[in-house]
Amino acid sequence: MPLPFLPDSMTLALHVSHLRKVYKSGTVAVDDLSLDVQPGDFFGFLGPNGAGKSTTIHCITGIATPTSGTIEIFGVDAVKDYREARKLIGLSPQEFNVDAFANVTDIVDWMGGYFGMTKAERKTRVDMLIQKFDLVPHAKKKFRELSGGLKRRVMLARVMINDPKLLILDEPTAGVDVELRRDLWRYLQELNRDGKTIFLTSHYLEEVERLCATISIINGGRIVRQGPKAGFVNEPGGLEAAYLRATGAEPDHVAAPA
Amino acid sequence: MSGYDGSVNWVGLWTIIRREWSRLMRVPIQAFLAPWISALLFIFVFGFVVGGRIAQIGGHRYLEFVLPGILMLNIVNASFLQSTSQIYFSRFLRYVEETLVSPLSYAEMIAGILSIVVVRAVITSLGILAIAAVFGVTHITSIGAFLFWIVSVSIVFGLLGIIIGLWANNFEQLTMLNVFFITPLSFVGGVFNTVNMLPGWMKGVAYANPFFYFINGLRHAMIGFSEANEWIGVSVALGLSVVLFATVWRLFSVGYGLRS
Repeated sequence: MPLPFLPDSMTLALHVSHLRKVYKSGTVAVDDLSLDVQPGDFFGFLGPNGAGKSTTIHCITGIATPTSGTIEIFGVDAVKDYREARKLIGLSPQEFNVDAFANVTDIVDWMGGYFGMTKAERKTRVDMLIQKFDLVPHAKKKFRELSGGLKRRVMLARVMINDPKLLILDEPTAGVDVELRRDLWRYLQELNRDGKTIFLTSHYLEEVERLCATISIINGGRIVRQGPKAGFVNEPGGLEAAYLRATGAEPDHVAAPA
Repeated sequence: MSGYDGSVNWVGLWTIIRREWSRLMRVPIQAFLAPWISALLFIFVFGFVVGGRIAQIGGHRYLEFVLPGILMLNIVNASFLQSTSQIYFSRFLRYVEETLVSPLSYAEMIAGILSIVVVRAVITSLGILAIAAVFGVTHITSIGAFLFWIVSVSIVFGLLGIIIGLWANNFEQLTMLNVFFITPLSFVGGVFNTVNMLPGWMKGVAYANPFFYFINGLRHAMIGFSEANEWIGVSVALGLSVVLFATVWRLFSVGYGLRS
């Protein structure tokens, strides 16, 4: 789908500056968080449960309202010019946020409709994505009838409908089998090679190590470490040890396999 | 935040309508058959059986008099239930997030919800008119005014339903406005009786009840019988539509009930 807004290729894909999110309960989920994602980067966003990963993503995509700070997607303010910003971004969320009684084709097609894609554009794209994610036998099944792995595939097909320039994947391989995980890795690597910027959160360090070029670690709502992957994996103990150190855990407490 | 650039995402708006139509068609018995059966019973018992023993009102058979009230009750219910369920279930199942992450303006989201509210109210009304026709009541004095009342009242209660759908955090809260406000006020708004039939102190209350003006307006559009200046009703309907739309737009823009 042609985008009316064509960003400068040198503009950052994502620029988050001093983001703070305080929930009504008073919980500070994200505090003074700043990060930059270069166009074409495969960016890994790591952190323990409750660290603020999903809240950060929700603020970037419009599901949560930032308390303060700025967010720009390819130079477009995600709060002030949210409609333009949304055209550039796609989110595959951690939790399934679909009408569970709708069928797979409709779920993917409706998302294309929200993005203003014509019927012909949607038809071509939906058919391609349903095939790409091996959903052909399930195309007319209701979402609630699908297995966890199939549901995850639908989420990925849905997010790809408008071919977003910045793809945000919040634990996209949680609960999927090894085969699908490998297929998905190959697909994401293909997309990234073709120039798509990908922002990935995952609890699978192997996944992050394999896919990402840049890694950022969040803990307690703040970025605690950020840099190229090489800086993490070349440390003694590799990425896992670096991650545990950054989040305040002791790598030595992890027992080695017998 | 505004984010409004002046262009309308017509495909996005149409998609909300398609989605909600698909959702509505999953429950045709609840959405259409239930109000039609209810209206049939009202028309048969109150209009035909009881009404057959009641003298004419303003030169009209009781069945003709009571039909606009029955229609209005169902328009109000259909509109309110449609928008509350649309909003509440989209929040409950979290698929409201699909529209939040999309390039849709708040006005488009609200217009999409209201469009299907009006469609449901019109279909419900047409079914009730068909049932009334079986009992020999087919009179509509002004088609334009008749359509105005169906559309404007469905928009008012559609908007009210959106507010409740955004506010409610459980099924109990969803029904509160209907139980304590909508049903009592609509029943005492002149569905079954004229204002003149009420005791003296209740006449003043009736004239302060917006439902009275809606029912009176529809009744005037159908049989030409009126107990108040219809322009008061038109002003109330349009005024409420504007105020409620502005309120809903504001709630959407601050993310009330939608964004965390």
